[in-house]
Amino acid sequence: MKIIISILLVISSLFANDATIDVIKKAGNLPSIAVEDSSASYDQTFKDRFFKSIVADLNVLAIFNVDGNYRKVCYDAGSVVVENKDMKYVLRYRLSEGDNGAFNTDIKLISDGNIVFNKSYNVNNSNIYMFVSHSIAYDINKFMGEAPVEWMKRKVIFSRMTSPQKSELVVSDYTLTYQHVIVKGGFNIFPKWANKEQTAFYYSALDERKPTLKYLDIRTGKVQVIKSSDGMMICSDVSDDGNKLLLTMAPKGQPDIYLYDVNTKNMKTLTNYGGIDVGGQFMGNDKVVFVSDRLGYPNIFSTNINSNNVEQVVHYGKSNAACSVYGDYIVYKARESSESFGHNTFNLHLVSTKTDFIRRLTAVGVNEFPRFSVDGDAIIFIKSYESQSSIGIIRLNHNKNFLFPLKYGKVQSIDW
Amino acid sequence: MRKVVVSSVFAALLVLTGCSDKEPKVEGLDNAAAGSKVSSAGESVSGKSLSSSESESDIMARLEKEFSSVYFDFDKFNIRADMQANVSKDASVAKSQASKYAIKLEGNCDEWGSDEYNFALGLKRANTVKNALVAEGVDTNRISMVSLGEGNPTCTDKTKECWSKNRRVEFKLLP
Repeated sequence: MKIIISILLVISSLFANDATIDVIKKAGNLPSIAVEDSSASYDQTFKDRFFKSIVADLNVLAIFNVDGNYRKVCYDAGSVVVENKDMKYVLRYRLSEGDNGAFNTDIKLISDGNIVFNKSYNVNNSNIYMFVSHSIAYDINKFMGEAPVEWMKRKVIFSRMTSPQKSELVVSDYTLTYQHVIVKGGFNIFPKWANKEQTAFYYSALDERKPTLKYLDIRTGKVQVIKSSDGMMICSDVSDDGNKLLLTMAPKGQPDIYLYDVNTKNMKTLTNYGGIDVGGQFMGNDKVVFVSDRLGYPNIFSTNINSNNVEQVVHYGKSNAACSVYGDYIVYKARESSESFGHNTFNLHLVSTKTDFIRRLTAVGVNEFPRFSVDGDAIIFIKSYESQSSIGIIRLNHNKNFLFPLKYGKVQSIDW
Repeated sequence: MRKVVVSSVFAALLVLTGCSDKEPKVEGLDNAAAGSKVSSAGESVSGKSLSSSESESDIMARLEKEFSSVYFDFDKFNIRADMQANVSKDASVAKSQASKYAIKLEGNCDEWGSDEYNFALGLKRANTVKNALVAEGVDTNRISMVSLGEGNPTCTDKTKECWSKNRRVEFKLLP
């Protein structure tokens, strides 16, 4: 595994009542943890790969000071290796190959000489070892009594540009270690999970006569055409129950936001401004937050589904062209410089509709396409810096950013 | 020691893995099949009179080169003064040599942003060109539009000149 984890901000925060405010806490207060390998099966290359994955996942949890040294020990040894004797926790694991290539993992968490947690994991092949690693981290986080990190086990879907007008849709884990191209060929972009179970997704096909929204059921492999529109056709958001979509369409050359009922197929126009209205995001049951240039530059506004009243919700930034919503929080992309180019950068900022605070989440490069995790614990985004396209994860309550570079191509859009 | 059955995410993943070869093929074959149909039809047309006449697709490809792309300033979708001549020439081609074809305007952007706003900017550029063509007498019903966002660059260098070449509207003909 060639994951490079770049910790941009290594400052821990103590509280999480208002995620828009930073309260700094010394990183030294975190308990230490080391990892010990007791595997008999598999070659050393694979063992190293798994070890790096589990260390990376523990780092992303942001609740430990993780020791990155590789140690070997017998699984049933009564004590930890001497180098780890001062560690508050030691995670010991044993990988073993079962029948038909099954990948089995046993773990025990040791603290002060006692086994405080243990568990076994079984999957049918070692190619998806990274999901085992993520699940171990998820379980340890839960054992430690921390807020759930459901997003760690979820699948990410993204579109990757491979050449002009050519793209592929890829399903991956959050670190991009596992990657499966699920739609290859054509010009398909803006994938969006259709439900919480991640069994289907919507995407925009641009190589049809008109831009067309399609629906792909992963379980059956069937593709269904939802709707076409001249100019643009994008699924911007899916309601929590999966029954309603926010679409950006331009049937008359004018990009506006529409509410689409999946069951009745009824369509309701939510905006009709003469400029640009795009990127609708559900906020609660009756509000939609979106991007509009109605003040002469792109900014973030909200409208009520029933009244169509429009209100400006972000008051900082010269050019705020994308956003994502979780509860009362809005993360948005802002252009930081008035220079068209040169050191022009886009950074992500977090605001709440309940307070006036603004929290800057990124510092360098082009940071865009922010998406909240399902539990609001983290934000995923696309980062472009020095010709490298990466997926970034921001742990809001831990004030840490992590980057996972893409091996080839450029990420166009993302959902998880 | 507790024994844990494969978790739901794994199960889902395995289902996904099990179907893995299927979905891309379904989509890939559709595209490939559609593409091969077009080319085989074209071959059969040209096969009847190999050198005496152009196929329909050849004619359309030749006519598309008669059009001039319209270029735009950063973050703008108004037609620049120096692009007005291009638009007038394009309207003239649309009304004469290309009058029997529908026109698809493809709006393009530079690489500064892959989000919906950038796509909308590409569309507004296409719409501006459409309005200018209609003002010069081209039938509005012949014109359709698509925004390709940053997905169809003609230049991939990291320079101002390169980015300015990508902020454009291109003309495609449809039968």
